[in-house]
Amino acid sequence: MNPTIRLTVPGTLRYRAIAVRVVAEAARLVSGSATRDPNDPLDNDVRHPFDTAVVSAFMEIFNNVAIHAYQRKDVGPIQIAITPSATDITIVIEDHGNAFDIEGVAPMPSELDPEALPEGGMGLHIAKTMLDEVTYEPGPPNLWRLMKRLPANQIAREAGRR
Amino acid sequence: MATPFETKTTPSGTTLVVRGSLDINSAPALAEEIDRIVGTKPAKVECDLSALDLIDSSGVAALVKLYKAVRAVGGAVAITGARDQPLAIFKLLRMDKVFNL
Repeated sequence: MNPTIRLTVPGTLRYRAIAVRVVAEAARLVSGSATRDPNDPLDNDVRHPFDTAVVSAFMEIFNNVAIHAYQRKDVGPIQIAITPSATDITIVIEDHGNAFDIEGVAPMPSELDPEALPEGGMGLHIAKTMLDEVTYEPGPPNLWRLMKRLPANQIAREAGRR
Repeated sequence: MATPFETKTTPSGTTLVVRGSLDINSAPALAEEIDRIVGTKPAKVECDLSALDLIDSSGVAALVKLYKAVRAVGGAVAITGARDQPLAIFKLLRMDKVFNL
């Protein structure tokens, strides 16, 4: 059974960077990637496509919880459970705020008009497109479940090394 | 926390250098700086993202605001240097073609 990393932070944007760093490090455990600066193991940058997908999606969902569930107020925690394995990562994000109307989010337009670029509504699109699974269960507690698999060719490569 | 951007104005135009993480926490300050830049009616703005490590949808929205607002006053915007996670986000949103990244 894969160990789960648990982190609870106040549900405000002030604590976002802490959560993002923990998620980035957990993603690196799966992808095997390193930071750009070996002297700064908590460097902000993410380069591996797997890390990029996991961190990008997580940032958007954290934003969503702090803004929509907790209305930018310090009124509840965000509980994060991260389970990295040899082949994938699962992140469960739990809040006790207002439920989110995930069906009410308009899809991104299929063609971008340079004169009318969107300035909002991109977050959920980023999360859904970058991950293999994004599910949401309204609560209380509200539960987001994010899952990303390593590409099959990387899993095969890692298995060959073992 | 230090602001993750810096503006340099030269006779040939304005350069906006964005560093670190451009996200929901830092984007509002950048939006204010964009308002100030647009107020000068610049002919050309270069937005240098070569030191930008992370971006989220709020950061993208701030750069879209820059792009639209500068063009609205008759100027041109060149977004340069995007790499790694920010470049992946622009590609996912298909803004890489709009911004010529």
